[in-house]
Amino acid sequence: MIDNRPLSPHLSIHKKILTAVFSIFHRITGIALSIGSVLIAIWIFLVALGPQYFLFFEIIAASIVFKIILFFWTLGIFYHMFNGVRYLFWSYGLGMGLKTVYNSGYLILLLTVLSTLFVWMLQI
Amino acid sequence: MKSNYASKWILQRVTALILIPLTFWFIYQCISFQSMSYGEVIYFFQSYINSFLFLIMMTVMMIHAKLGCETIVQDYVTSASLIKTIKIIINFITLMSLLLSLFAIVWIGIL
Repeated sequence: MIDNRPLSPHLSIHKKILTAVFSIFHRITGIALSIGSVLIAIWIFLVALGPQYFLFFEIIAASIVFKIILFFWTLGIFYHMFNGVRYLFWSYGLGMGLKTVYNSGYLILLLTVLSTLFVWMLQI
Repeated sequence: MKSNYASKWILQRVTALILIPLTFWFIYQCISFQSMSYGEVIYFFQSYINSFLFLIMMTVMMIHAKLGCETIVQDYVTSASLIKTIKIIINFITLMSLLLSLFAIVWIGIL
């Protein structure tokens, strides 16, 4: 592997068209969810350690900051999942027409918002 | 460095497909966790089906996350040595998370 490899997507050069923004957000949510998956591992570990350690989690979970993070987490999961399904179709060369790409993009935004609201309405 | 990028590309998509039903399952469970006591959470994970699904989800999720993060690093980091270092860190975190989950589930099962 050579040291001066070409970088793939030049974020600062391209015009921010919808498809590019969707791709960038797919990656941002991907990184955030990766961190989230490590936190899930820590959570189940706290559960296993015992009630006194789990209490530590419950204190954090009661805070409003945690709820806000959890809300964006839900939003991130749904976005990444729905957009990921779109990419799975693309892997088969399906739905890649310019018009379809934009319409499926709007559909994902709609599904993401609706699913997130649905989950949080179940909680309240 | 020898890596089979075609098989990684396929693995990223296969893990994505497996994660779709598991994600819905886990989000649904998370909603009920909120109103559960500590004992009820323990009881939940003492069920073989639940602990099995959780471990499958964690494993597939960590593989998916690892592959995704590595791709991002490869796209935006120029220095080959830095890529190597970050990949070692990603592998370490992935492995630690999996070990924590496995240990926790086995421990809860024994309780």
